[in-house]
Amino acid sequence: MDYQSNNCKANPAFIQGFGYQPKFSYLSTSDERIMGLVLIESTQPGNPKAAISKKMQHPSWLAGGWLAPILIAQTGDIYTAPAPFINILNNPINNNNTIYKVDAKTGVMDVFLKLPAADSINTENPFGIIGMALLCETSTLYVSTLAGSTRHKEKGHIYAIDLNTGKIIDQINNLDVMGMGISYVTGKRKLYFGTGRSSDVFEVTLNKEGKFSGKPSLAFTLQDLGLRGDDKVRKIKTDENGNLLVHGMEFNYNLIAPREKQETLYKFVYDEEEKKWEWVQ
Amino acid sequence: MANTKTSLNRSRCERSKHLCVAPTFVKDGKALWAIIDLTDHRLVGIRWTKVGDMGKKVPLVTEKRLQDDKITSCYCEVEQPLKKNGWDMKYMLTSSDGLQISNVSFNGKKILRNAKLVDWHVSYSGTDGFGYSDAVGCPYFSQSAVVAWDIPKVIKLKDDANNEIGFVLEQTFRSEGWPTPCNYNYNQRYEFYNDGRFRIAAASLGRGCGNDGTYRPVFRIAFEGDKNNFYENQNSSWLPWQKEKWQLQNSQTNYTAEGYQYKITDGASGFYLTPGNGQFKDGGKNDNSYVYVTKNVPGREEGESDLVTIGPCCNTDYKQGPEKFIEPDAEDIQNASLIVWYVGQMKNNGNKGQEYCWAESILENGVYTTKVYPCFCGPMFTPVKP
Repeated sequence: MDYQSNNCKANPAFIQGFGYQPKFSYLSTSDERIMGLVLIESTQPGNPKAAISKKMQHPSWLAGGWLAPILIAQTGDIYTAPAPFINILNNPINNNNTIYKVDAKTGVMDVFLKLPAADSINTENPFGIIGMALLCETSTLYVSTLAGSTRHKEKGHIYAIDLNTGKIIDQINNLDVMGMGISYVTGKRKLYFGTGRSSDVFEVTLNKEGKFSGKPSLAFTLQDLGLRGDDKVRKIKTDENGNLLVHGMEFNYNLIAPREKQETLYKFVYDEEEKKWEWVQ
Repeated sequence: MANTKTSLNRSRCERSKHLCVAPTFVKDGKALWAIIDLTDHRLVGIRWTKVGDMGKKVPLVTEKRLQDDKITSCYCEVEQPLKKNGWDMKYMLTSSDGLQISNVSFNGKKILRNAKLVDWHVSYSGTDGFGYSDAVGCPYFSQSAVVAWDIPKVIKLKDDANNEIGFVLEQTFRSEGWPTPCNYNYNQRYEFYNDGRFRIAAASLGRGCGNDGTYRPVFRIAFEGDKNNFYENQNSSWLPWQKEKWQLQNSQTNYTAEGYQYKITDGASGFYLTPGNGQFKDGGKNDNSYVYVTKNVPGREEGESDLVTIGPCCNTDYKQGPEKFIEPDAEDIQNASLIVWYVGQMKNNGNKGQEYCWAESILENGVYTTKVYPCFCGPMFTPVKP
């Protein structure tokens, strides 16, 4: 495992079993014409313009409607969750807090865990699970959800889930958390996340069991950066040096098509002397 | 004026695309933002914000945010009253059913409980099964894919001789990138005439994802009264509908000499329904509409509150959504509270000289302007004279 980047994902065995070359294949939930999870073999993975050799979909991959986050664990199991695309025809609100797991060996997708339902379903907010992050050394899955939030009440959560037991081991309440990422800073594991309410990025320390230690605090902000100046965090990745690669975009809790939204990548490096994150590009 | 800090430097206002600047004035823990359009030399808007606490930054104030905040607080969260020329109603923007009017009366007589635009179904025939079910509505916290671009407007309605004959309540829903491909612009309008007629209409102004698209807006119109009956014209006589059903307007459709296709009455009063046939002088052609009539039963949720997506994008037949309130067991609709659903079908066209449901940017005098070809559809309702 690469400790700095917290990267421990393994190739799911079913990819080869389905006749796809793991080296040239990837999984996607962002094909605008194919709902659910799609396995794609490309001549050049990572290059969206590269020729696609073939693509396929296991019938069970449609079960959650349109999906968004994809997270591959060290077992090769894949975790994903529903997210509405343009409308909620295939994404009923009462299923938007469900985590699905694609078995690494068989490729079959099934419900892994249903997170606690929101207090009440409202028609204002069609979103549930938005982000996922994995802490490799404890096999803890962090899942953020906006379910139940309204314009005037922030009721989202982050849940910490032990992948070995499928149990929730900790949670942070009343925060509309979106994209999340994990890094290793000043000798501590920290979870970084943005919210749907502002451009700020927060951090919270993770203990050895993967639970939250202390309260979240402001780490840095995307405000005034980029083309729009008020981006929200869609996802956060950590590179091999522990830098944070933050993907920002417009988000207003509506169903405007993602293609209409420009996304900007912001790179933040931790300044050891100043003890703070600096935006570098 | 003393020097002051500014925000939005070297940037454009999101919607006017003009250079803007926002001087901020801090006083007593609060900041006053004043957004200035440097092209039109006008004040776009002002906003007081609290100076951030606990290190958090104050959210950026921009032209778009000011406009969306006003739409939300004034039209999404509260109903607005509208009294004009004998008409009395309330209106508001919904989460996903467009601009809704409710409690509509004319000269004291109750006419509609409410009316709204449930969905836009957009299918592209070149690629079977490809398209979108777009909801239109509020900009924040909504299930809308195309959101309100500005506040609802009330406009005078005039005839060819420029006489004022009523008014229009109108709303624009727009993608930020319109008129570039795969961006949408929908116009919703309610026309109210001084003689008691009213029309419920909507248009696509393109441009969408291709020139082989068909737009199908789904209107829901809930009439007042619980003793209504619905009739279709057949060779100059009125045939009552006994049970919930649907019907397609096509080349065989039978109209009265006045162009009426249906009527809805409670015996004493009511309205004739005239579908669009290109006669409304708004660029619209034949609506090719599906009309469905369903029974309203209080307490049974069939679209009275905000409807989630009612149907898929790409059905080319009557299965546009309202049929699920009819099938499999159509109910008796005689002397009942009735809902009329109206689904227009407009095929777009991007060919030169034939543009329809279309928009394009053209260069005029060195400046790009947008030329639109709206495809309005929607029925006119004319009072039945006793």
